Amino acid sequence: MAIDSLVLGAGQEVGKSCVVVSINGKRIMFDCGMHMGYTDSRRYPDFSLISNTGDFDNALTCVVVTHFHLDHIGALPYFTEVCGYKGPIYMTYPTKALAPLMLEDYRKNMDRRGEDEQFTSDHITECMKKVIPVDLKQTVQVDKDLQIRAYYAGHVIGAAMFYAKVGDAAMVYTGDYNMTPDRHLGAAQIDRLQLDLVITESTYATTIRDSRYGREREFLKAVHTCIAAGGKVLIPTFALGRAQELCILLEDYWERMNLKVPIYFSAVRNFDRSLINAPGPCVLFATPGMIVGGFSLEVFMQWAPSEMNLVTLPGYCVAGTIGHKLMSGKPTKIDLDKDTQIDVRCQIHQLSFSPHTDAKGIMDLVKFLSPKHAILVHGEKPKMATLKERIQSELGIPCYCPANNETVTVPSTHYVKADASETFIRSCLNPNFKFSTYSSVDKSYLDSKYSKAASGLQVSDERVAEGILVVEKGKKAKVIHQDELLLMLGDKKHEVQFAYCFPMHTERLQKTRTEELPSADTLLCDLDKCTLINQLSMKLSNELSDANILDLGEQLQVESFRVSICSKNSCPHRLSHSVHNDSESVFLCCHWSLRDEKLAWKIISIMKSSSPHTT
Amino acid sequence: MEQHVMNSIEQSLNNNQPLSSQTLASLRSLIINPTTSDSSLSSLLDALTRSLRLTRDSVFLHHCLKLLTDLSARRPHLSPFAVDLLRSDSLFSSASPRLVGESLSALLSLTSSQNDIDAARFVSLCLGPSVPVRLWLLKNAEKFAIRESVLLAVFLGFTRDPFPYVRKAAVDGLVKLCKNGDFNDRDVIEGCYCRAVELLRDAEDNVRSAAVRAVYDWGKLLVISSEERNKQDSSDAVFIQLCCMVRDMSMEVRLEAFEALGKIGLVSEDILLQTLFKKVLGINKDKIYKPIKVFEISASAAAGAFVHGLEDEFSEVRMSACYSLHTFTVFSSQFAGEALNLLMDMLNDDSKIVRLQALNTMHHMATCNHLKVEEIHMHSFLSTLFDSCSVIRSATRKILKLAKLMKLELFKLCIDGLLGNLETYPQLEPAFGGKLGFDSTRVAAFLVLAISAPLSNESDVCGVPSRIFSYAVTWLGRISYALSDVMNRETLLAYLSKCSRSSTISLADFKIKEALPTVKGDMPSHLCSEVGSPVSMPLWQKGVETFDHHHQKLFLGKSGTHLEYGLRECDELRQSVNLVFRKVKDLWSLVQLGCTNEALKAISRACKEEVASFTTDSPGSAGAVAFTLQYLRVIKLLAAVWEHLMPTKKLNCYGVGKLELLLGKLDRRLREIRNKFIGLSKAEELQILELIVVACLLRLSKIEICCYDTAMKKLSSIISHVEILRKGGPIEPSHFIIEVKKLLNDIGSSSGGSTCKPLLFKKLIDSFSLHQFVLGGSPRHINAELEVPGNDSENPLPFIPGIPASIPLAITLYNVLSEHRLWLRISMGEESTQFVFLDLNLIRSSDEVREFTFVAPFYLTPKAISFALRVSIGIECLQENVHQVKAFGGPKRELAYLCPEEEIFLCKSTKW
Repeated sequence: MAIDSLVLGAGQEVGKSCVVVSINGKRIMFDCGMHMGYTDSRRYPDFSLISNTGDFDNALTCVVVTHFHLDHIGALPYFTEVCGYKGPIYMTYPTKALAPLMLEDYRKNMDRRGEDEQFTSDHITECMKKVIPVDLKQTVQVDKDLQIRAYYAGHVIGAAMFYAKVGDAAMVYTGDYNMTPDRHLGAAQIDRLQLDLVITESTYATTIRDSRYGREREFLKAVHTCIAAGGKVLIPTFALGRAQELCILLEDYWERMNLKVPIYFSAVRNFDRSLINAPGPCVLFATPGMIVGGFSLEVFMQWAPSEMNLVTLPGYCVAGTIGHKLMSGKPTKIDLDKDTQIDVRCQIHQLSFSPHTDAKGIMDLVKFLSPKHAILVHGEKPKMATLKERIQSELGIPCYCPANNETVTVPSTHYVKADASETFIRSCLNPNFKFSTYSSVDKSYLDSKYSKAASGLQVSDERVAEGILVVEKGKKAKVIHQDELLLMLGDKKHEVQFAYCFPMHTERLQKTRTEELPSADTLLCDLDKCTLINQLSMKLSNELSDANILDLGEQLQVESFRVSICSKNSCPHRLSHSVHNDSESVFLCCHWSLRDEKLAWKIISIMKSSSPHTT
Repeated sequence: MEQHVMNSIEQSLNNNQPLSSQTLASLRSLIINPTTSDSSLSSLLDALTRSLRLTRDSVFLHHCLKLLTDLSARRPHLSPFAVDLLRSDSLFSSASPRLVGESLSALLSLTSSQNDIDAARFVSLCLGPSVPVRLWLLKNAEKFAIRESVLLAVFLGFTRDPFPYVRKAAVDGLVKLCKNGDFNDRDVIEGCYCRAVELLRDAEDNVRSAAVRAVYDWGKLLVISSEERNKQDSSDAVFIQLCCMVRDMSMEVRLEAFEALGKIGLVSEDILLQTLFKKVLGINKDKIYKPIKVFEISASAAAGAFVHGLEDEFSEVRMSACYSLHTFTVFSSQFAGEALNLLMDMLNDDSKIVRLQALNTMHHMATCNHLKVEEIHMHSFLSTLFDSCSVIRSATRKILKLAKLMKLELFKLCIDGLLGNLETYPQLEPAFGGKLGFDSTRVAAFLVLAISAPLSNESDVCGVPSRIFSYAVTWLGRISYALSDVMNRETLLAYLSKCSRSSTISLADFKIKEALPTVKGDMPSHLCSEVGSPVSMPLWQKGVETFDHHHQKLFLGKSGTHLEYGLRECDELRQSVNLVFRKVKDLWSLVQLGCTNEALKAISRACKEEVASFTTDSPGSAGAVAFTLQYLRVIKLLAAVWEHLMPTKKLNCYGVGKLELLLGKLDRRLREIRNKFIGLSKAEELQILELIVVACLLRLSKIEICCYDTAMKKLSSIISHVEILRKGGPIEPSHFIIEVKKLLNDIGSSSGGSTCKPLLFKKLIDSFSLHQFVLGGSPRHINAELEVPGNDSENPLPFIPGIPASIPLAITLYNVLSEHRLWLRISMGEESTQFVFLDLNLIRSSDEVREFTFVAPFYLTPKAISFALRVSIGIECLQENVHQVKAFGGPKRELAYLCPEEEIFLCKSTKW
């Protein structure tokens, strides 16, 4: 089984995010964005790669949209209404609520620029009707086999990472996310999952950003200094999130510092224009963000000539806008058109927020999820290559950064289901842990790669591993307990035993033999045996202090090792060459099973050394 | 009912039948019912014992267990029997581990003995298939007396359990074991540590957070058991290991990680610094630690741990990170410096607790001398002085008190901030003056520095904000001491007040250079007249808006006439004195808030010291200074008495005595201030009278100590005196006095004035607020010096027992008028006191200073070889009512004493 990821957009670039993933026969399209930099066919993902015939309904199981930014959703109305996809579309509730606004706004802009319209207002409405909203952490059963789940991603309101699972194969598509919280959004949050694949954004593949606190501090200081001196602050905003963030920041500061200076929002209600030139300091949020026209330009024209006032600009302004002019060096005059010229004396402050995670965040997330494979999208090629190397070398996770229209295939997990016998289950319930220490661990262990486990004391609990997998013909695989095996096979238990018979010569033994009468031979022999065994027992307990030596009269037992005096003349376990001085020695016959092999040889060597006259 | 149930039990037992569940239920109701007799309960116990022998049914056993537990909980005297039964074979040795577990837990809750279970049984129960029992046993393991080695094996084993809660309990058990136990086997420690580290990657949040604790605790042992030269490295490795967890997805785990991080004491500086930077520092690249053989961790894992913590989504984690930082700031000043950059940003945090913790950490830095505040910090740092939360403001001031500022600009910013703080929250900062330490020598020294800096280098003064100067004006006494070699106080005041008015004034304008040579010579220079000249007057009086309101009040005082008069006279001293009075007035608000101790301290420290520094050389100044000191004494006593009237203060017997003592002292001081000064204006007199009224009211409001009639009499006499004053001139008594008058009328008209109404008086007192005393003229101080030349204990005066002795006294009187009645008070121990009238008409001299020798007779010489007398001079308080009739022709009114008591020694004469 394998997971195929076809990257239709945002491969080694930023824009038109779109990845089609096939898992176990299911095909999911993650995001359906457009590229803002192109106006030709490169604007949209090449949908023909999904299906030549244009039968998208059968080619795709579902579409999942992570958030409402145009590079993630921009192509959706086109795909559904123009290309004709009619299957389910999943997104979070806030995304569903805000997406039509974004799309409509974009369509109007396109209209204004005189580009040919790709979709109409009705298309957007129709498209949104196909959307099924989901809650965070809600598991949605798309069909019998496919389930998806959204996790909080930060980044922007409603942004989500999506988890998809088909059978045993599971993957996460992150969309855009942020690992550090800001004031109105939290940090991305996901469970520790068993994953075959993670597809992550990599906008800041090599950047490590410093804390947002410094920027906030500068901003608050500039605003406070300005209003304390009686100036007015203009905050042009357009991006959803940025306005809210600044708002919370200022509101909190105002409350904390007990400031009474008014803060106005021109966008919420119709703004009373007489307030623009009312005396005293104030703060005003006005649209549009890059001062291209509208209310923010109107206010800017009135406030710019005074050096008491302050204009705060977003981190990025499109070239040609007043915002851009203000950012690139401090101009003293700005020509609005042929007739109007604005005298700019006010202070300029730049404040950038970036809702994307940085390189460390990506590494932290991938490390936390520890998937079997990772794919990078939504970034710049050279930087992605660096990050890819880091993921592979530091985390040991194979990583890919495919270009657009390339497919990456990774193996997926597939579990074979097996039944389990009752005895096995019962045995699993009982703990069965074992401790091992250095002494008993094989030396080769130390050199192995998994040396982490080789420290002094370790514990293992192998209750699951001790089952036996039985696959009978035509039946489902079954795991049984080892005790059940014989029963099931109807067979006898065989055990491998080692045996060894060796001669042992003792002085004392010989003496007694010669002095005593032959009639008492048998009796004496028995006595003799016992004394010998007794002697051996004492000897062994001296040498092996920790072994449990059982003296059973005629034989001696240590664990599974047994030794007795061999009375047979030709013992099959006796080595032939030791037969020759039969009369002077006694034969000891030893038996042991495999697990005590070491112990057995140790005992034998002790016994041998105790009889110096043995040849 | 009881009987019925017992019968049915008997029946079924006799038939060898187990009890039915219905019977068991009725048994339970019997047990629960408090009226059930003890005899039936004991027979019930018997029945249970018998039926336990009969059956092994697990349902029955569970029921039985429950019944026994209930029984012993409700009837403690029966509990030993129930416990015995619980220990019995059928329950405790049952084959079902669940049942055993339950009976164990019941036993544990009933008895405190630990010996119900031995190690083997414990282990076998743990190893049994019942997970709840296993969990329970692991959680309660320490309640049984089981060997540590057994517990260790069990806990360590169960960290492999497939059930996460069992794993968590096992890890928790390991942590407890580690804390209590005594392990020195390196293998065991390494094994446990490794297992804990492995569990940091567990899928369950709970297990991970328990594992963090385990890593910390076993890591500690690991460090201890390491060889000396490896200790640092081991500790660093444990620290880094914990750093890995600060990016966990679970908040609990992160919180746990920061708590653990804060507890590790021994961390090398490189690693610490690394936690403040997300980028891996050069020194830490490729740095690998091996706390255990073949176990590696890279230093880069610590990167930015604290940064992440401070940026965390949850305020708990941010707070914990702030807290953990503080332990490390002690070790390294470099770390403290870098951490400060981050902490300063935490002052913009939206959570109050986080801000407070950040400040506390900074305070900690300041105490260990690692706080280096820099210019870029100042905005966010000083903004906390304006925080809406008073705890945060006071925390900041606490830091400011300790902070060592590197540059003058920083200091100036701080002073600005503090002044702004006081302006914004004037009434809410009771700590001002006391805790803040404005009165500390250090601050005064800083002010001196700030002021003398422009003086010494002639640069433009505008570098120093005018507010500092106006603040400095209130510290005139102290600062002039410090600058006495450069300029005298008058010049300084003129300079300061001018500077504080306008920040654009330059030294050249002020002609300070010319003023300097004249300083040591005659006082009045052209500078003074310049300031006091009518030309600058309008500016002062207009009350221009730019003029600091603080300042304005300082100089304008209450009535315009006083001001004009004062300015024309150019009486420096009076101005300074009035500044002191103003401060006293400000401090009074503290007294009303209940911060009596702070106020008292401030009065004695700031005011008295300052007054003491005033020169008394010039004519008339001695009186003013003496008056001020007396006034301060009165106010201090008043404050002390006031404290006893605070609602929170509970008056006990001891308190009553103390209060009486204080009131007595207050009366004496008031008498002195009223009678020992002449030349007070009516307005001044009125203010003193007001204080006396307050003292009377204080007495009246405490029913325990008040002698109602006397006090009322005194009060009405004072009030009538106020009336006389009012008729005599254009003086308006304060609202307070009017209220008192009203009350007196009411009481007088209502019931002949014999009932006590402490509450009414109390209310009146609450309406009192201290007005600023304005000293207009120069009061003259009546005092006296008394001496017996050549007399001490070695050279006593001779006397003959029983015959009057003559005592020659050298007396100097100041400012005593001929209408004053002076008395000599001669007392011998406690028992006898004698008064001798000093007839001033006999002494011909000027009013101001009279110097003469007076031979006083002492009549009651005892039959002793030697004795000592105490002599002092008192002035009869003419304005007091006659209410004391003394025998032996003593004074008819109270005396106010003009000099301290002089001790005179007498010895039986041997000459005759």
